[in-house]
Amino acid sequence: MSEIKEILSTIQSEQRKAVLEHEAKMILKKMGILIPPSTLAQSKEEAIEAAGNFGYPVVMKLMSKEVIHKTDYGAVVINLHSEDAVKSTYDDFMTRFADMDVAGVLVEKMVNKGLELIIGTNTDPTFGPVILFGVGGVMVEAIKDVVFRICPTSQPQALQAIEEIKAKILLDGFRGMPKVDKEQLSKLIVKLSELAWEYKEYIAEMDINPVIANEDGIFPVDARIILK
Amino acid sequence: MTVKLENFFNAESFCVVGASTTPNKPGNVVAYNFVHSFPGKTYLVNPKGGELFENKLYHSVLDIEDKIDAACIIVPARFAPSALQECGKKGIKNIIVTTGGFSEIGEEGEKLQQQMFDIMKEYEINVIGPNCLGLYSPALGYDTMFLPASKLKRPSNGPVSIFTQSGAFGAAFIDQLSRLGSGRWVSKFISYGNASDINETDSLEYVGNDVDTKMILIYLEDFKNGREFMKKAREISLRKPIMGIKANRTETGAKAGASHTAALSANDVIVDDLLNDAGIIRVITWDQLEDCVLAFGTQPLPLGDRVAIVTDGGGAGVMASDMVSDCNLKLAKFSEDVQKKLDETFPSFYATGNPIDITGSATAEDYRIALESVYNDPNVDSVVNICIPVIPDLDIEEYIKISRELAKRKEKPFVTALVGGEEADYATIELLKEDIPAFESPGRAVKALGMLTDYTKYLQKHGVDPRTIQMEDQK
Repeated sequence: MSEIKEILSTIQSEQRKAVLEHEAKMILKKMGILIPPSTLAQSKEEAIEAAGNFGYPVVMKLMSKEVIHKTDYGAVVINLHSEDAVKSTYDDFMTRFADMDVAGVLVEKMVNKGLELIIGTNTDPTFGPVILFGVGGVMVEAIKDVVFRICPTSQPQALQAIEEIKAKILLDGFRGMPKVDKEQLSKLIVKLSELAWEYKEYIAEMDINPVIANEDGIFPVDARIILK
Repeated sequence: MTVKLENFFNAESFCVVGASTTPNKPGNVVAYNFVHSFPGKTYLVNPKGGELFENKLYHSVLDIEDKIDAACIIVPARFAPSALQECGKKGIKNIIVTTGGFSEIGEEGEKLQQQMFDIMKEYEINVIGPNCLGLYSPALGYDTMFLPASKLKRPSNGPVSIFTQSGAFGAAFIDQLSRLGSGRWVSKFISYGNASDINETDSLEYVGNDVDTKMILIYLEDFKNGREFMKKAREISLRKPIMGIKANRTETGAKAGASHTAALSANDVIVDDLLNDAGIIRVITWDQLEDCVLAFGTQPLPLGDRVAIVTDGGGAGVMASDMVSDCNLKLAKFSEDVQKKLDETFPSFYATGNPIDITGSATAEDYRIALESVYNDPNVDSVVNICIPVIPDLDIEEYIKISRELAKRKEKPFVTALVGGEEADYATIELLKEDIPAFESPGRAVKALGMLTDYTKYLQKHGVDPRTIQMEDQK
């Protein structure tokens, strides 16, 4: 059994539909997708060590199966610039979420600002797994600038999809913003489409939002997978 | 592997089960069609026996001694399973069931269709229908359309193959094509109804491989096998154009899910993107579908998106220009010598940019000069010829002649819009008689070019030279 299958079936055996972010990122990593460096810290010391290793600023996110919409709970703190900030955030999490089943605190190197994109998958009743690419961020459902392809998709199809969003001008270095590496972006779309296709018995929906594209590259910053 | 539909169209013997002696009844019409047009052997079955159109009426298919390649069952739904079973026993492998009253009417019909399905499996029968018009091919003398020719006119042989989920759509469109221009349009027509067996994907595969099919026109409301359909379409659309209607656009909105992706997954949004990805030109209105047939069926593909407009009316020219940009086309910039010629030839009150406006003073000769100049200009990929024929000095016969000649050169697409009343109608009809694409508004003419150009762009993106696609029949 592949490692990804193992992770997915373990979660399923726990009667969970929502894959936690650190688990989702582990799956992406095993698909060969480059993700920002992160560690699931089990103690304050581990959190401090990880932050020191990655270099500041970092982001801290509380991982708990009882906290699915992390921002609604204040379970995501960004832009932490010092060891003190990491310490106090850790303490704050432990106080506020004391009664919850906490899997750990995800300490992650903060990705520089950039263009926020979304890549997601869904199970369509007619076409099976489909992949979506478009303008991401919190306003994604309001902006609705997205394009679909069938999974698995090929790189030429993905490249074509990238050219089809209305805001494609944003990808070509709009007003001093960095040019998006479309080659790398299309490869990410292909890999996620392969993930959704190969594990279609498990995966119902997936949101990689935002995917941040900046001068350093393309980074899946948040990942959500919903199982069937 | 042979494609299922080949065995239907290639049948050398055909049996009409339910051949009726009552004029204009479905079973009577289909029997008439086959007895009079089908070059192979036709057998008619009616339990009452007797004779019809000088052919024997067999009591049962089992009484027929010869081998039968295909059959059409036209009996009331409740008798259809037993008719199918007899055909199965007889060893007929390809059967069209035109009768309605199955899954489309609810639970009871669903049961009947299931019964049919079981028989189909037991005898390994390929079925078209139920609840459909079946097949039509004028070149093959094959016609299970059960509506009498006095009502439903039949188009004759041509480059277009059509498949449709809705029989009523099919009937209307077939009828419409019979009076479009020469009426020489249809290669194969497939109406598969409830798709108990043969569906949109089988139909696409068949017409995709069929050498006589130069362009494919579809009407769908849903997909039985969407993934396979898109896969096949992606491959076929690089060889011949596929265009059509996917109706039911508002069927289901996105279901609320836990992810943004699910929330954005409205059925039609996905369909639209996937059709686009597969190179299928999506048509929204009925009018556009007919315009597609005219444009794709008579004109070559453009090699680019640069359009020239010639008009005798400013407003029509401006509206056409607007449509040019709506259809992601560009107004061509004429080459230097063409521009020079236009400037030198025409009086200063004619506008010689693009659109060229030869005004209410235009003569047929002015049209000839303007149209020929832009047609010959290598900077122009396609031409829109607009005429409001109310102007006093225009010799309409001469104008028609010039338009006809250019449209027949087929070096680049040439479309005409005639705007107005009686005189415009007259010229339109004269042009259409010879399958020259002529439309009643500038918008429709430009939109037709837009669809041709969309296909060119798709081919070019996939590394295919549009010149390799031979669409129009050499009529």
